[in-house]
Amino acid sequence: MNRLKELTRRLAYLGRRESFDHELDDEVQFHIESRADELEQGGVSRSEALSRARREFGSAVRMREETRAAWQVKWMEDLLSDLRYALRALRRNPGFAAAAIFSLALGIGANTTIFSLTMEFLFSQPSCRNPETLASMQIGGNSDIEMNKYRFLRDAHLFEGLAGSFLEAESNWRYGEDTYNLHVMRVTGNFFEVVGVPLALGRPIQPGEPATVVLSYRFWQRRLSGDPNILGRVLVLDGQPYTVAGILPRNHRTLIGFGWSPDLYMPVSREDEIVALVARLPQGMTRQVAFARLKAACKELDKIYPRSSNSSWASKIVVAPVTGLDRLQELGLAFIGYFFVMLMIVVGLVLLIACANVSSLLLARASSRRNELAIRLAIGADRGRIVRQLLAESLLLALLGTAAGLLLNVWLTGVMSRVQLPAPVPIQLLIEPDWRLLLYSSGLAVVSALIAGLMPALKATRGGLSAALKLDQRQLGSQPWTLRNALVVGQLAISVVLLATGFLFLRNMTKATTLSPGFDADHALWAYTRLVPEKYSSPEKTRAFITSALDQLRSLPGVEAASIARAVPLNDHVSMGTEFPTDLDDHPIRVDFNFNWVAPDYFKTMGIRLLGGREFLASDRNGAPRVAIINENLGRRLFGNTNPVGHVIRWDGPVTIVGVAGNSKYFTIGEDSPLALYVPYYQESNIVNLHFLIRAAYPPGVVKGVNRTLGRLDSSAAIEVKLMRNALAFAFLPSRVGAALLGTMGLLGLALASIGLYGVLAYAVSRRIREIGLRMALGADSRAIVRMVLWQSLSLVATGVAIGLGLAVFATRPLAMFLVPELSTTDPATFLAVLAVLVAVALAATLGPALRAVRVDPVIALRYE
Amino acid sequence: MARGPVHGYAIARRIKDSSEDALEIEEGSLYPALNRMLVKGWLTAEWGTSENNRKARFYKLTPEGRKQLERVSKQFDRLVEAIQLVMRTA
Repeated sequence: MNRLKELTRRLAYLGRRESFDHELDDEVQFHIESRADELEQGGVSRSEALSRARREFGSAVRMREETRAAWQVKWMEDLLSDLRYALRALRRNPGFAAAAIFSLALGIGANTTIFSLTMEFLFSQPSCRNPETLASMQIGGNSDIEMNKYRFLRDAHLFEGLAGSFLEAESNWRYGEDTYNLHVMRVTGNFFEVVGVPLALGRPIQPGEPATVVLSYRFWQRRLSGDPNILGRVLVLDGQPYTVAGILPRNHRTLIGFGWSPDLYMPVSREDEIVALVARLPQGMTRQVAFARLKAACKELDKIYPRSSNSSWASKIVVAPVTGLDRLQELGLAFIGYFFVMLMIVVGLVLLIACANVSSLLLARASSRRNELAIRLAIGADRGRIVRQLLAESLLLALLGTAAGLLLNVWLTGVMSRVQLPAPVPIQLLIEPDWRLLLYSSGLAVVSALIAGLMPALKATRGGLSAALKLDQRQLGSQPWTLRNALVVGQLAISVVLLATGFLFLRNMTKATTLSPGFDADHALWAYTRLVPEKYSSPEKTRAFITSALDQLRSLPGVEAASIARAVPLNDHVSMGTEFPTDLDDHPIRVDFNFNWVAPDYFKTMGIRLLGGREFLASDRNGAPRVAIINENLGRRLFGNTNPVGHVIRWDGPVTIVGVAGNSKYFTIGEDSPLALYVPYYQESNIVNLHFLIRAAYPPGVVKGVNRTLGRLDSSAAIEVKLMRNALAFAFLPSRVGAALLGTMGLLGLALASIGLYGVLAYAVSRRIREIGLRMALGADSRAIVRMVLWQSLSLVATGVAIGLGLAVFATRPLAMFLVPELSTTDPATFLAVLAVLVAVALAATLGPALRAVRVDPVIALRYE
Repeated sequence: MARGPVHGYAIARRIKDSSEDALEIEEGSLYPALNRMLVKGWLTAEWGTSENNRKARFYKLTPEGRKQLERVSKQFDRLVEAIQLVMRTA
């Protein structure tokens, strides 16, 4: 603490050195005059008194020196003067400075942007009180549980508080004549209290309040145009009036994170809703203790609500923190972490290339400043001091580059935070510069200054005085392993790795987008209809709506077929794992498969081929013999080469296979030979989220008709009709994001490496002008010279690329987990493309200067420098 | 200085008087010492007007400086005591 105060006092001194000196002079003056006054009173003449006073005072110069020394921080003043000197040097070479700063700005901008993204995705803190004592919980392998189970656990008082929330909920908002579908967070009454969510306005939803909502800032601003009298206003949601109690702050982050941002929070209203658990642990309770308590309670829960299958509530319990890496690990999302680790490595490489650029620029400059440095060494500067001074220059470059990079970062993250990501879920990133970013970028600045500056600085001052003063011998003949060549080779190697990664992801994207989903997305429409649950209190009512909707949709002109399913492939999916005994084999076969409930005509509508058997019929309903359709993969797994149609699997009783459908994609476009089982669409529980599917030769032509038909049936229903092709965007999102990010990095790396390569090769050739002139004067053939220079450049490039390709083969291997199975990481096309690009750059960089060199008049060339 | 703000010249004179000229020091060397104490935060300094109507810088002991003074003078007393003890028994 005292040290810090001392430092601030010293810093304050730095700022007012001049006035300090004046004050010191005044003080000396006062001292001497006071003493002289005294002596004068004793009868000495004024001039005599003054000179005696001065004598007694001693050396004023030394006193001043020593006084100043008491205040100075030596290294800091040295650094400041070095930086001032560096600034002057940079101003004299604006081209050099601009190139170096530009390189670093790109590298650092890319780094800090990825850093910001990583922080937002992996380490952002949810908006809550004391996140460290919050824990999210799962029981029985379920992320969400029904209200009665939730209440049992809540009333067991295991923790300080236990709340529930369901993040994927939706609600119909009636506004004027229109009904909109909103993304809402359903929460238990105690949620705000347990989690401690801060509000911008008003108050939270309180326990026992069935009809209050808390709005997100964005919803309030964009949909209600920031109504100042918002508190107390009534919104009609699902046909019921809800009063707005509060507004969330603009920077609200949900517990789930990942930028998930629902339009509003509303209370859980029905018994059949489900919630994910979040608990407030008492101070000091570890997650292990919480786990044990929860497990004990779940054993009780198993007695009251026994589960039919083999997974009891007390099994597969997860107690995870709400932030940090542990959370990803516990929730099985570690791959997101890996993706960001890879991104960080990739941008680290980009920065390395940028640093290498600056480094080779500094090297080039150092060799032209050789004489200056030699003279300074000769008049007694010590090497360490000069190295420090050269480092100050690279530090200044790095600081300027970082400042420019940060501007880039702020702009990029601002764009990212503003745009609505093309996802079907409400994702809104909230990236703002913070102290972590500042810390990280200052770290980057120092590191890159060292990486870029240390080698050139050491090189420039090496060899002592005599070597430096000697007129430097120009490279006559080739010196294959100069530091600069090594830099080029290293840079090339890194950029090959980057490019290979970027190309791999670009190819992954094209592959993924051209992959067939296995169904006909071009002729299908998806009409999502959400009914108001309160209006459809029984499954019969809902079923009646579905039946008349399908009848009317089928009769629309242009519609070829219509059906309904519970899950729309590649958008939503239900997976199951169980063991099936079949009538052919009593020995049960373990299968993990995609599951869907589909209505008659589903396969016709989706354009999925039926390989055998039939579609479901209207007669396949509750009470009728149970039937199922399986896909080809599952048929092969369960029945081998036998045609499965007509055979029976036992799944809580016999189920007859009535059809075999072609394989298609269900969950991700990149999945490899997935299994699937379909059962007839019937309403065992009352589901109000209806996914109608419509087949038309020209889908855009029937959008309006579909919309109107469904709207006429129930005006309170929220309807959203979209082309299946557009709806698939989500499925392609990961590969697009991956390709966009890594492709950009690859291109950035290539651009930087090309600039560096060009600069170094061009510089090397220009240094050899004298040699070339000599050769020309001695009668060398200009073509031979061009060939020689080209050959030398290309051998440099070949070395770098060879090393890089070798590295890339290994470096890209772990990326396989992010790629579609059809693409191998050692895809030759990728590497060929990389090779071609780099050779082209090398040719361009060498050819120009080489041609210029041979055209120079030998006489001029010989006098060059 | 423990008794109140005082300017550099007064300090120099007091040292001279109280040591009865036994300590022959260059008066100028007082100032670096004062400044070192300013840096440490044991003193604060302010410009004011001296008794002979000149602009002068007055130094004042801070609480921290007072603590330091007590510490050091205690240490010094102990040292002197120890020396006396050794001298007597020797």
